Amino acid sequence: MSTTAAVLCGLAGQLPSRVVTNEELARRLDTDDDWIRTRTGIRRRHVVEPGQATSDLAVEAGGRALAAAATDRVDAVVVATTTPDRPCPATAPLVAARLGLTGAAAFDVGAVCTGFVYGLASAAGLIAAGVADSVLLIGADTYSTIVDPLDRANAIIFGDGAGAVVLRAGHPDEPGAVGHFDLGSDGAHEDLITVAAGGSRQRSTPGEPSHEDRHFAMRGKEVYRHAVTRMAESARATLSRAGWKIDDVDHFVPHQANLRILHSVADDLGLPRERCVTHVESVGNTGAASIPLALADAAARQTVKPGDRLLLTAFGGGLTWGSCLLTWPSLPQPERMTTP
Amino acid sequence: MTTTYGQLIEIIERLHDAPADRIRPEATLGELDVDSLTTVEISIRIERDLGVRVGDDELQPDLTLGDLAGLVDTRRTTV
Repeated sequence: MSTTAAVLCGLAGQLPSRVVTNEELARRLDTDDDWIRTRTGIRRRHVVEPGQATSDLAVEAGGRALAAAATDRVDAVVVATTTPDRPCPATAPLVAARLGLTGAAAFDVGAVCTGFVYGLASAAGLIAAGVADSVLLIGADTYSTIVDPLDRANAIIFGDGAGAVVLRAGHPDEPGAVGHFDLGSDGAHEDLITVAAGGSRQRSTPGEPSHEDRHFAMRGKEVYRHAVTRMAESARATLSRAGWKIDDVDHFVPHQANLRILHSVADDLGLPRERCVTHVESVGNTGAASIPLALADAAARQTVKPGDRLLLTAFGGGLTWGSCLLTWPSLPQPERMTTP
Repeated sequence: MTTTYGQLIEIIERLHDAPADRIRPEATLGELDVDSLTTVEISIRIERDLGVRVGDDELQPDLTLGDLAGLVDTRRTTV
């Protein structure tokens, strides 16, 4: 087993300035604030302005994470996203160049809402293999660009944002070391979370894609059941690998899908709901950005403190899921991104 | 005494959108404002906590809590 671990040494988040409240959604959709809050826990979300792309948020978050880590150089830039600026090329090289990191290895990770955890494993792998001594990992998504604004089920859930971490080579036992990964997938259920058009399947088929096929689609009931089951299983697998008990977890940081899923998983694990880090109220489901944004928010509020033990668990389209553990290091405190 | 109905109430009270004053055996899921994702959540928790499989498609709006307790009891005795 490798003795070189990826150690968290910088963290930052970025939200677009435009806020969409539940009241604003209720003006164009058949819904209201109370219905959205009781079903999802979400009060508002942030969305990009016309012309603003995923890389714009990623560059802001990445630049701040580098500053927090007091560095202007990394060996690799990894962007986890489902909403790249373009189908080709990857978004990471552009982000790297805009951050003055031309020459660094740069690639995207596609694991939908599990992208950040897969990205952490990828970054840890680059470091363990000696390919990189430092990695900038950014989870960034702009779901507002793929969700049909008139699709009530999804329009109330999703928001845009980016969260970034800097990882450096270090020792597995030091605070900030990420490890004990559990990653998994089940492509037999690929049709539960999709954007049907825009890829080779649709492009090699004659005819123009339908309005529905151009947009994000999710089969909510089935996704809910898979999400709760897989996240709990993955969390248990990771804890077992590390020899941790559930009581050893100070903070459970799940992908911020919706509050009911988070509480269901916490209840299943036997974890008090108060130990569940929640950020979904202020930003909705921000895809691959949700875990680093939740971490940045918790660190800014000082609810997560050095020495605290964290369990990160995500679930997303693919289907994909993953978990890992880390002990919170001493980091510069990120700026508060949202008001309570 | 822990009855199946009592266990169901514990499950439903853990959910966000169950108005406590409306929970009684004659109340239908529709009256309790149970939406489609909540039926999934109730189905998951019945299986997890009571060890009985009740599909979310069986949790129709006209089903009462008393009916649901009966359904769980029937499946418990036939397993």
